[in-house]
Amino acid sequence: MNTALFLVLGTAFGWVLSRSGATDYDVVQGMFLLTSFQLWGLMGAALVVTAPGLWWLKRHGRTASGAPLQVKPKPRHPGNVVGGILFGIGWSITGMCPGPILVNLGEGKLYALGALAGALLGAALFGMLYERFPAWLRLPALRIGTGDG
Amino acid sequence: MTLILHQLQPYHWALAGVLIGVITLLLLWLGNQRLGISTGFENLCGLVLKTPYFRRSEITSSQAWRLPFLAGLVLGGFLSALTSGGWAPFWDLGMFDRVIGLGPAGKLAWMFAGGLLIGFGTRMAGGCTSGHGIFGIANLERASVESTLAFVTAGIVTSNLIYRVGAP
Repeated sequence: MNTALFLVLGTAFGWVLSRSGATDYDVVQGMFLLTSFQLWGLMGAALVVTAPGLWWLKRHGRTASGAPLQVKPKPRHPGNVVGGILFGIGWSITGMCPGPILVNLGEGKLYALGALAGALLGAALFGMLYERFPAWLRLPALRIGTGDG
Repeated sequence: MTLILHQLQPYHWALAGVLIGVITLLLLWLGNQRLGISTGFENLCGLVLKTPYFRRSEITSSQAWRLPFLAGLVLGGFLSALTSGGWAPFWDLGMFDRVIGLGPAGKLAWMFAGGLLIGFGTRMAGGCTSGHGIFGIANLERASVESTLAFVTAGIVTSNLIYRVGAP
């Protein structure tokens, strides 16, 4: 039952990413070259809806089925910025952030296979090197991780 | 600006943003999950790799919701193509084809290099556009604001280096 819910929400999310230009190489480059407002506007509009909705849901404190709402904030550490810079370079190179890699595969864009293989290997390397990163990154203990999301 | 996919006219940014926000809120209200896609790479790695990092409860316990969500992302893209002109595999890459112009093998290598940075970088950052950029900022988390500023700035610099400096 819940599996179906997550499948449906993922499908809706993927559909909107596909039809909005968030999975489109040219639209993403337009965002980074500051020649297109499309994705800046999309992010802004998403925040305008999500921020007050989230505030209200947290105040309400319950999910639709009455369970206590779980919103765990992410840990803050220098990896947020260092990793963010690496990710931003990769987003520009591919024209894809993580969700759109998968949506692009669904659309039939074969080059997304390269991005997916790279992303999986990158995540695997990160996990295997986790306890060998320099101390100044102050990554949280392994059982906590850098943040779920 | 039309999309590479079937030269579609994209949704207005305001409509698309509102829909993304509504889905994010439904995921929390109905499913009790905070939106975040990049951990999905670890969920997928965790199916194969059994090192301590990939056996953390945060990874094993989120597979049940995130794997169907990721499958949905692929399905959503598939349905979007299917209903707008038919599904067929293709290599078209818009301005990349006009300016840089690599063939299929070159594109795969280019995307693989970028993908490595995406997988490694998002996991070091603890999130991506969805988990930091949308959910984290909407939840007023400092880590998310800082990370989002970092990846957006790096993207602006890199695209300008590629298209305005490297290959003008």
